[in-house]
Amino acid sequence: MNELALIIEDDLDLADIFAEALRGVGFTVEHASDGKKAQERLLYGEPPYLILLDMHLPHISGGQILTDILKKDTRFEKTLIIITTADARMGEAYSEMVDFVMIKPISFVQLRDLTARLKPPQ
Amino acid sequence: MNRFWDTILNVSVPDPDDARRRRLLNIILVGNIAGAVVGFLAIGISNILANQLANFETVVLAGGAFVAALGCYGIYQINRRLSGRWASLLYLLLLTLVFTSMDTPAQLSNGRSIFLFTIPIAISSLILLPEASFLFALLGSGIIAGLALSIQQPVNIFAIIGFFLLALVSWLSARSLESALHELRVINANLDQVVYQRTQALAESLARERLEAGRNQAILNSIADGVIVFDRNWNAILVNPAIRSLLDLPVELIVNRNFRELIEHPKLSARSRGLLYAMIEHDTQPLSFRIEWGNKTLSVSAAQVYDFREEGNINLGTVTVFRDFTREAEVERLKSSFVAIVSHELRTPLNAILGYAEMFREEVYGPMNEKQVNMANRIISNTRRLLGLINDLLDQAQMEAGKLTIHMGPVRPSELLEQIHNLLDKTAAEKKLRITSEMDDSLPETIIGDGPRLEQILVNLVTNAIKFTDQGEIRIRLFHLPEFRKWGIEVTDTGRGIPRSELPHIFDSFRQVEEGTTRTHSGVGLGLAIVKQLVNLMNGEIKAASEVGQGSVFTVTLPLVTPP
Repeated sequence: MNELALIIEDDLDLADIFAEALRGVGFTVEHASDGKKAQERLLYGEPPYLILLDMHLPHISGGQILTDILKKDTRFEKTLIIITTADARMGEAYSEMVDFVMIKPISFVQLRDLTARLKPPQ
Repeated sequence: MNRFWDTILNVSVPDPDDARRRRLLNIILVGNIAGAVVGFLAIGISNILANQLANFETVVLAGGAFVAALGCYGIYQINRRLSGRWASLLYLLLLTLVFTSMDTPAQLSNGRSIFLFTIPIAISSLILLPEASFLFALLGSGIIAGLALSIQQPVNIFAIIGFFLLALVSWLSARSLESALHELRVINANLDQVVYQRTQALAESLARERLEAGRNQAILNSIADGVIVFDRNWNAILVNPAIRSLLDLPVELIVNRNFRELIEHPKLSARSRGLLYAMIEHDTQPLSFRIEWGNKTLSVSAAQVYDFREEGNINLGTVTVFRDFTREAEVERLKSSFVAIVSHELRTPLNAILGYAEMFREEVYGPMNEKQVNMANRIISNTRRLLGLINDLLDQAQMEAGKLTIHMGPVRPSELLEQIHNLLDKTAAEKKLRITSEMDDSLPETIIGDGPRLEQILVNLVTNAIKFTDQGEIRIRLFHLPEFRKWGIEVTDTGRGIPRSELPHIFDSFRQVEEGTTRTHSGVGLGLAIVKQLVNLMNGEIKAASEVGQGSVFTVTLPLVTPP
């Protein structure tokens, strides 16, 4: 069974690349293109196995999604969270709250290799 | 009282000798008048007391006294209003006449009253002229000789000789008195002259000084920058009006107070407070930095004032100039935030290019031939280069905006070196260069520093070294200076070196050696500028030494802090 990965990323090309990397290692991929959509998806949909969260989003910032939803809602306790940011400082600030921090630019290979390791053993 | 006598006795004339003589004559006249009045009254009172009618003799005496008083008053008026000479002459002649009529010719020419004639002789030299004593000696001699002859008596030669001797003595003493007075006057006049000249010079120099001070004050008052002059203990001794509007504080709260009081003002940001304390505590040479005061940004320039005449250049104090930098700072901030936004917006599509190129290379959508993979690799490496440049620009912008800060944490120097090898060995190998690294054994295993920024410093220095080296190696050394509680990074290359004339400029932004001629090397020239600023932020120092054709050495020295 393919695990569900949710990509929250406003840049469609990057979302496409990330999706390709995740699919490559066997994830089923869903995409939310802004903070509001991501929030709705997280509140009403099935909790994903992995979330790739961009910190710079329109409407609702990644930081807010992280603190408001993911850390308060017990449904996400087992969800792996990877945040992506171009700001190393911000990454460092959130590093305690999440499983992984990836600093942009994010390489396709780098993401593929990381998520491959995160996949549960079949 | 003195003034009363002065009005009565003094005659104001320009010639001081004349004035002195006329005053003396006045004294004598007033004395005579007083004597005559007293005599007149005494005669009257004694007659009344004796209860007898006035006889002829007393009437004559009283009349004489009255006439004498009146005559003296007349001469007094002449002396005051017309001429001292004539008044004196008249007085002396009248005196002689009175004396001549006071006794019998026998007594006057050869008896008890002969000495009366000495009085005009003595007085004349004082009130008329020194030489006048001879005139009255002659007159007196003539009178006694005439009187003696009129009564067929022998002329008293001895008395005449005595008169002339007295005249001689009077003349000599009056003359010497006059010459002494004259000398005194000359001395006085000279003294006055000297005093006048000195006063004049003093007034001139005072005026000049006031003018100069006024000019300086005018300059100080008219410049828009705020100026505070501190003495060597940082007490504000001079301020200009601009400082008041700049700091929005009454001058009384600044001047004659210690700078520390101002530094503690709540309008000052904590960072600015630190900078100002650093300035007054370290007494370092010419300084310039920015502070935030309320919603204003001020640039502060400080220059110490030394007295070079003294041994050992005595520090007299510090002149600080505060300039309103709010607008410039705002423009800079906008520029920086513009650069930051642009950089961010540039990075996202580049990240996409990088990702897609990688997908080609990784053959996500099917197999690729060797040439295609090669092309994908070139796209990747060029994109990475572009990303690197944008990162540099972003860092520069952040540093200019003062946003870049140092975050201290535990750092393992050995891991730093490892990371550099991971990142740059491949790049060096592409140019057939080798990176070697070593570390002083005494350097602690873990130190406190900003890991990512230290890595950035190393990456920039080593990348730079690779860029300008065509053969040989790049040596990295992490060294320990326990006696100074410092550690550091040394990057040595065997590259083409930096000309001596360029050495002072290599840390400037957007600068590459050989600027404007041939650009054989890529990059916008921000690498070293960023390193320099990061090192400064870490309170460290960076130095470069180079020999053209031999290579360069960059040495970064940083304070050593170890975890507790």
